[in-house]
Amino acid sequence: MTVPYSLLLVFILPTLGVPLAYFAAKKSTKAAGILVALIALANIGLVLSTLPAIASDSIYQESYVWIPILDARFTLFVDGISASIALISLVLILAATLFSINYMEGKKNLPVYYALLSMLSIGLVGVFITSNLLLFYFCWELMLVPAYFIVGGWGYRESYRAAFKLFIFTHAGAVFVLLGIGAIYMTTGLTDMFAAQAALLSYSGIARWILIALTAGFAVKMAIVPLHMWLPDAHSEAPATMSALLSGVIISAGAYAILRLSLGTVFPAVAGTEFGSSFLHGLAVFGVISAFFGAFIALVETDIKRIIAYSSIAHMGYVMFGLSLYSSAPIVGAITITAAIVGTVLHIVNHAVSKGLFFLSAGAIMHQTEMRDINEMGGLAGKMPFTGASSITAALSIAGSPPFACFVSEFLIFVGAFEIISVDGFYTFPTIFMLIATVLSLAYSLRFIYRVFLGQSRSKNAGQESESEGEKKVVDAPTFMKLAMGILVIFVIILGIYPAFFINLIKTVAII
Amino acid sequence: MLADVTSWLVWIFPLVSSVFVPLIARAGEKARNAFVIGVTAVTASLALTLIPAASSGEGGAINLVAPWISQAITAGVYIDPLSVLFTCLVGFFGLIIAIYSLGYMKHEENLTRYYFYLLLFIGSMIGLVISDNFLQLFIFWEMVGLCSYSLISFWNNRPESVKAGNKVFIMTRIGDASLLAAVGILYASLNTFSFHGTITAILNGTLPSSTLTVVAFLVLGGAIAKSAQLPLHTWLYSAMEAPTSISALLHAATMVKAGVYLIARFILIAAPMIAVLEGSWLPTVAWIGVLTAFLGATMALYTPDIKGVLAYSTVSQLGFMMAALGTSLAASESLGWFASLFHTMSHAFFEGLGFLLAGGIIHALGTRDMRLMGGLRKAMPVTYALAIIMILTTSGLPPFAAFFSKGLIITSITEEGSLLQVILIYATTAITFAYSLRFVKLIFLGKESEHLQKLHPHEAPKIMLAPAFVLAVACLIWGFLEPWLGSYMGVAEVPSLLSSFVGLETAIFAVILIPAGLLIYAAYWKNYSIMNSLRSASNPLAKLLSHGYFFDDFYEKVVAKGVMLFSRGVKFFEVVFLEIFPMVFANMVIRFAGGVHKYFEAAADQLLTVIAGRTVDSAAKVKTLDSLADRFLDIIARHTLRSASRAEGSSSSLQHYLAAALLGFIVLVILLIISVGV
Repeated sequence: MTVPYSLLLVFILPTLGVPLAYFAAKKSTKAAGILVALIALANIGLVLSTLPAIASDSIYQESYVWIPILDARFTLFVDGISASIALISLVLILAATLFSINYMEGKKNLPVYYALLSMLSIGLVGVFITSNLLLFYFCWELMLVPAYFIVGGWGYRESYRAAFKLFIFTHAGAVFVLLGIGAIYMTTGLTDMFAAQAALLSYSGIARWILIALTAGFAVKMAIVPLHMWLPDAHSEAPATMSALLSGVIISAGAYAILRLSLGTVFPAVAGTEFGSSFLHGLAVFGVISAFFGAFIALVETDIKRIIAYSSIAHMGYVMFGLSLYSSAPIVGAITITAAIVGTVLHIVNHAVSKGLFFLSAGAIMHQTEMRDINEMGGLAGKMPFTGASSITAALSIAGSPPFACFVSEFLIFVGAFEIISVDGFYTFPTIFMLIATVLSLAYSLRFIYRVFLGQSRSKNAGQESESEGEKKVVDAPTFMKLAMGILVIFVIILGIYPAFFINLIKTVAII
Repeated sequence: MLADVTSWLVWIFPLVSSVFVPLIARAGEKARNAFVIGVTAVTASLALTLIPAASSGEGGAINLVAPWISQAITAGVYIDPLSVLFTCLVGFFGLIIAIYSLGYMKHEENLTRYYFYLLLFIGSMIGLVISDNFLQLFIFWEMVGLCSYSLISFWNNRPESVKAGNKVFIMTRIGDASLLAAVGILYASLNTFSFHGTITAILNGTLPSSTLTVVAFLVLGGAIAKSAQLPLHTWLYSAMEAPTSISALLHAATMVKAGVYLIARFILIAAPMIAVLEGSWLPTVAWIGVLTAFLGATMALYTPDIKGVLAYSTVSQLGFMMAALGTSLAASESLGWFASLFHTMSHAFFEGLGFLLAGGIIHALGTRDMRLMGGLRKAMPVTYALAIIMILTTSGLPPFAAFFSKGLIITSITEEGSLLQVILIYATTAITFAYSLRFVKLIFLGKESEHLQKLHPHEAPKIMLAPAFVLAVACLIWGFLEPWLGSYMGVAEVPSLLSSFVGLETAIFAVILIPAGLLIYAAYWKNYSIMNSLRSASNPLAKLLSHGYFFDDFYEKVVAKGVMLFSRGVKFFEVVFLEIFPMVFANMVIRFAGGVHKYFEAAADQLLTVIAGRTVDSAAKVKTLDSLADRFLDIIARHTLRSASRAEGSSSSLQHYLAAALLGFIVLVILLIISVGV
């Protein structure tokens, strides 16, 4: 059962949501939150409705007239990869919006906040479901603008400074992306990423520059070391809902774009050359560096959100490593699916829910305790059992422990890596390093759990009993926060025990 | 057919039931406890019903699968004597520990969490040993680690408990990474996770021998971490922070036995190509086992912690098991392999018994320090009697279980191992006897300590003694089941019971116990000064033992500190190079912009002045021109007027003036048209 215009509706609904949420929030912020959440839910339904078409044809497309002079059509599509990531992004938007209802309570300018949130969700999903390069770039930038204002307007401490950093860094990356897209248009005259793949095959000379420009641009968004400097500030100063979306979806968009554009569209033109393989090796090296860099800093950081932010960098390292395992002789006409690529896409999905949950839980902790230094926390599990359970779930998933989500995808990436090692010996050492990195990720996750939730409270006024008069007693998160975290906890566990749904969905890409 | 269902239920049932513990706990503590006992009892009986199923399998394993991740990657169970043996062990101990916990954990809070993890632990461990593929095994392998972490740090408001839990989880994760690599490499080269597929590939020779060797060593890496072998054995001592009931479960059945199972399973799978592993891998296993056994036993000789003795004893006994597995090519084909599994069970009984008794003692005395104990035999006579059975079994004296199993291990090592291994293993048995004697002497014999006199300790409650009693009985009878177990496990030559008594090994074993006993006698009964000086903290040997050969000091002071220091370095690097560098860059941009402002704009200012001056100048010139033109026009007009006035007179001067203007306009238009036309 496919809804007509379903993908167009995915764009239209949140667009309509912008004014609606604004005016609804003037009356009641709860209504606005529920409205935006319902739109996300409707979008989930719309994307799900395309799954039968994906199952039979491996792709579902819609095309509308847009800018005739550039031969740019408003082409929307979903295949297994897009649908998986779009679905999980929508789930995260849903959870983040529900979380906002309690979390943002009492803040200023909430009508604007909900309008921006709705606007953000256009770009967040749009970027995954379009095959037109101009539209892609449009959505890419549309992700950034509301993000800038949300981080700046509702963040902590020096939020505008962080937002400025976010904007400048990723916009500088976007310039490279625009350069690459422009070059594709100049050489092939095409703005469709699928059509451009075949057309680029005869331009292997320019293709390598396009490849480098696009990948560099996307790597900034993905916060690959050393282009990551915007991430810790933006993630830690943003409101929790925005951190969840930033870390869950926005940086994943960078990974998705590398897979779809750099590797999918441009890479076949240079495949088989020496440049092609050293490009992939380079990705592996940057992946390993990011994984270690993020893990090491997460091990010594004391700010609750910065720990999670650095673990995002580490996990993007895993994703980058997974991407580097892309087939060096790809099939023209589609993304070439191997165990590693299935694992990588699945890791994007799993990391999105786990990290979203992690940031929301951290937000709940900060909201309820008004602390953010983990050295002052401790023993919170008893006071906030629900938040504690969901944080620990998230932390263990991030550490790659079964039965939680990230284990499956990390495992698949490693299986893919071992498959490649037998062909290309270069990957031996990166794989060994990544295996060591799994130990580090467990270490920082356990440190987090211990410092925040277990042991005794170490807060400055721990000497006096927390029950003493005037002292606010720490209680568990309110209803909507619990609801939001509960949704994600269920996803983290189900994705860990029965990952077949997404794996099969991703695998449909192979069928041409 | 029944076995088909039970083989799935035996692990799914406790796993699923664990989720219901928090729900049932709402109905009250009694309902929850009854539920847990019920689940473990059902699990244990399900496990026992599997025994006939495996033996009727005509040598081949029953392998059932169900679709899971894809058609090729399935979930499944693998029923053969090996998996059934471990399933029964875990099921049986699950029940024992659940009953014991009723007494031991009675006054604790958060027991819902405790029982939840207990059932999850049991279910995961059974899932581990019954899996039919490496992926499922690995997942449960990790889950066992997770459960042990949660249970070891059960008292999570005590920093020591949590730190111990962290240490256990992280150290075993090193082995997990190694096992993950092994599983990944196997899948990458065979495209299957299943044991059956792997065995077929090995039979067909599809697996290159170099790959098999690499995989074997990586598997060993996993087992070393999980089964607390050198050099990753230190976590087991730290795990003593756990509630004693959990220590008992951890040592006897779950967690540490996983490594033994893994190696035993791997030897079965690799059996057709075992010749490849004979050269380097099996001797490595044997050496690690022997060294672990020896060092573990020596450390047990010194520690003052009652649970510490038992922990090091486990390390040592696990070494025996590994050593036996490493000599799997004994004359009777799989004698070492069998000896190891036989001893696994014996060890479960006596070590489990030891922990259950220790739990009772800790309960009564509120301390784990043996130096504060002594003379407990009067206050706790039943515990004392059971402890005697425990140490006799541990030391391997007849007719208790370990006499047969340890004897078989020694035989196996004598036949296959090198001379040095044989010497070390005999020495270890002697030291085992020594630390067992010391254990009893320090706790039960002698006169009552001051600590004891203050406390007036009482015997452990019946609910804690009953499980211990069951285990003591098991210690007594297990050894006599050797022939049955041998034929059940499919050993070619089932060793007879009598042969255990008459061999040369037994004689050596008996003789070597005497000096060990004498040494302990001299040190703890007679208090000879030479022994005291040997035991004093200043003695380098004592220092070596009390620090556990400095393994932990190395890990904590060098490795952990090093990693943290390095992490700080990375952070510093980030701050300096990645935070400051962009800032410097940004400053440069700003300064450049300032420069632009300063120099360019100043220049522009000057230029502007010049231009303005020129413009004014030119404007002035224009003005001059203008005035010239004006004057010119004036002259023309004046002349026109003059001529006009001459002709018509002043009255018509205005008319003339207009006519002239019109003429001028027409000329102008014509000029304009001409200029455009051109």
